[in-house]
Amino acid sequence: MSVRIVLVYQSLLGIYGDRGNGTVLAERLTRRGIDAEVLVVEPGTELPEDAQVYLLGGGEDGAQTTAVRELTKDGALHRAAERGAVVFGVCAGYQILGNTFTVGDRQQEMPGLGLLDVDTRRGPERAVGEILTTWRGRSGEEQWITGFENHGGFTTPGPGCIPLADVVVGVGNGDGTEGAVQGSVFGTYPHGPVLARNPALADHLLEIALGTPLDPLPMPEVDRLRAERRKALGH
Amino acid sequence: MVPMSVDTRGQLVRASGPGRARLALAQTAGRLAAFASRVSGRGSGASIRGMVMMRLDPGALGKLLGGRRVLAVSGTNGKTTTTHFLAAAIRAGLGPGAGRVVSNADGANLHHGIASALGEQPRADVAVLEVDERVVADVLRLGRPEVLVLLNFSRDQLDRHHEIKALARSWRDALAQMGADGPVVVANAEEPLVVWAARPAREVIWVDTQSTWSQDAALCPECGSLLTRTDPEQAGDSVIPGHWECTGCDLAEPPAQVRVSGDRIIDRQGRELPTDLQVPGKFNIGNAACALAAAEVFGVDSVTALSGMRTVTAPAGRFSVTTIAGTPARLMLSKNPAGWAESLPLATTDPLVLAIDAVAADGKDLSWLWDVEFEQLRGRTVVCTGPRAADLAVRLSYAGVAHEVIHDLSAAFRSVAGKVDGPVDVVSTYTPFQRLLDLGGVPRTTKPTALPDVGAEGGAR
Repeated sequence: MSVRIVLVYQSLLGIYGDRGNGTVLAERLTRRGIDAEVLVVEPGTELPEDAQVYLLGGGEDGAQTTAVRELTKDGALHRAAERGAVVFGVCAGYQILGNTFTVGDRQQEMPGLGLLDVDTRRGPERAVGEILTTWRGRSGEEQWITGFENHGGFTTPGPGCIPLADVVVGVGNGDGTEGAVQGSVFGTYPHGPVLARNPALADHLLEIALGTPLDPLPMPEVDRLRAERRKALGH
Repeated sequence: MVPMSVDTRGQLVRASGPGRARLALAQTAGRLAAFASRVSGRGSGASIRGMVMMRLDPGALGKLLGGRRVLAVSGTNGKTTTTHFLAAAIRAGLGPGAGRVVSNADGANLHHGIASALGEQPRADVAVLEVDERVVADVLRLGRPEVLVLLNFSRDQLDRHHEIKALARSWRDALAQMGADGPVVVANAEEPLVVWAARPAREVIWVDTQSTWSQDAALCPECGSLLTRTDPEQAGDSVIPGHWECTGCDLAEPPAQVRVSGDRIIDRQGRELPTDLQVPGKFNIGNAACALAAAEVFGVDSVTALSGMRTVTAPAGRFSVTTIAGTPARLMLSKNPAGWAESLPLATTDPLVLAIDAVAADGKDLSWLWDVEFEQLRGRTVVCTGPRAADLAVRLSYAGVAHEVIHDLSAAFRSVAGKVDGPVDVVSTYTPFQRLLDLGGVPRTTKPTALPDVGAEGGAR
């Protein structure tokens, strides 16, 4: 059986190379001898009910609102989260997984999907640039999460979730923390895309999705890039 | 603004007075700054010259635009090449009066770069200008162009331009504001954002460029509903054109008056004309179709316009063939995923060189690498070079493409010496591209050759 990875509404939520997260997850399985397929599902088409991973990426205000409307109508993403499938949102995708977020110059409050206990409001200034965080509960080389952030919203995690990481360089949630985890639902700001730059995080998602530990998969190019990015930020 | 007019022989007549004196002083200071920049090896000096001029005379751009017939070109990709096409078409139309044309041929397309180019040729009364997307509204207001070409609109440098729709809105608002005084717009009918932005113009000539990039248009810019799109279909020998429309309002692809058909262009009179351009790429036929439509508005016949466009070889160094570190190379510039989608299929050598950086001029965010189909390079070897070669290496390793990383540009070219018959193909982001031009001895500015004296008789209206 093939592991199914869904790129949710690539045309709405995919402006920061977010399809790359799907490519990375699928390749990391294939190279370990596990069949994997990436499905791109666009609005108007039903999301598959039987996938193991659902990916949501970056998008503009209007796209966020449309995505929430369509995903709520569709319902499959909520059912997926309930059965413990991995839901991974980046940037705008992270924001819409939350309870509420705002759009437009007048900061109109919009309901999110409610899969993460977070709320997003316009921050004091737009966060744009390289970001480096440390992943909670991890140590050594794999604790470092590196990426590029570009968002105007600041996100407050509520009691129902825990932050994914703590900010070393950059902005993240805006309060020193970065991202959020609630069961098998993840949200984070860095793209890059984030799973290309952070293979331990990619494998963590896959291990949850498959329910089994995975063999190591050395990729020296990725190690070099990670070292280069950390050095560029003075760490 | 200093009043200016064009007399019956096409000569510019400028008013004298304090405004004129101030502009003259600013221009002299600008020239000195440009000279300093050149001798210190920092660049062509075009932008510096304009910056100094405009600091000393903030009204300089308006004064310099005044009294000229202006044709402007904007869009995300293809501005520089299209501007070269259009300038060449207009020169061909003007014949012996070709020297009346001024153009910012080096691609310096912000206020400073435009002012600089205009300041250098005060007597040229026809200005063909490449205009950055952010400057379109100002050039409309200050220069009152006769024609505005809007090529396309896609994701580019999102670390700076956060939402592309805001840029489209600035075009739309400026065109709406100008009403009957506005330009004739030549616009790509295949791009929903361009169509939305161009609709308020007093007259639009729609061009079907047969472009294939559609990743940036999912939602209707007018009402926010989803757009539907049918791709072009091959039916025997002919192609059924693709079409897009909104599911919620009346925004839809308008019927085109000028269209690309294979490597030919069908003009407004329905004539199917061979292009035979020296600049490669299907997308450049689309650019030529837009330039052709703009030249026709100016009064240049399509056949004459194309004869001019065929003289364009390497606009601002793009597609130039040169030698770098002893290795012959063909240089291509791409700045965003839509641009890479167009240029990568043109890079056919094995090995090939891809140069990447991510400083401000390139866009600091390299996530776009994952929107480019590098998988098409499987089976060949890529030399990754430039300061951010490591980011490309990760993308290529996930794409299953053999590669090596050689950060230093010259060393990268030495490594491929003798491995390719003819020039090795190179695709580069903006900053390494400028360095490659320097290493290859290609001038960053490609000036038109042998201009006759300004103010000659004749030519198109």
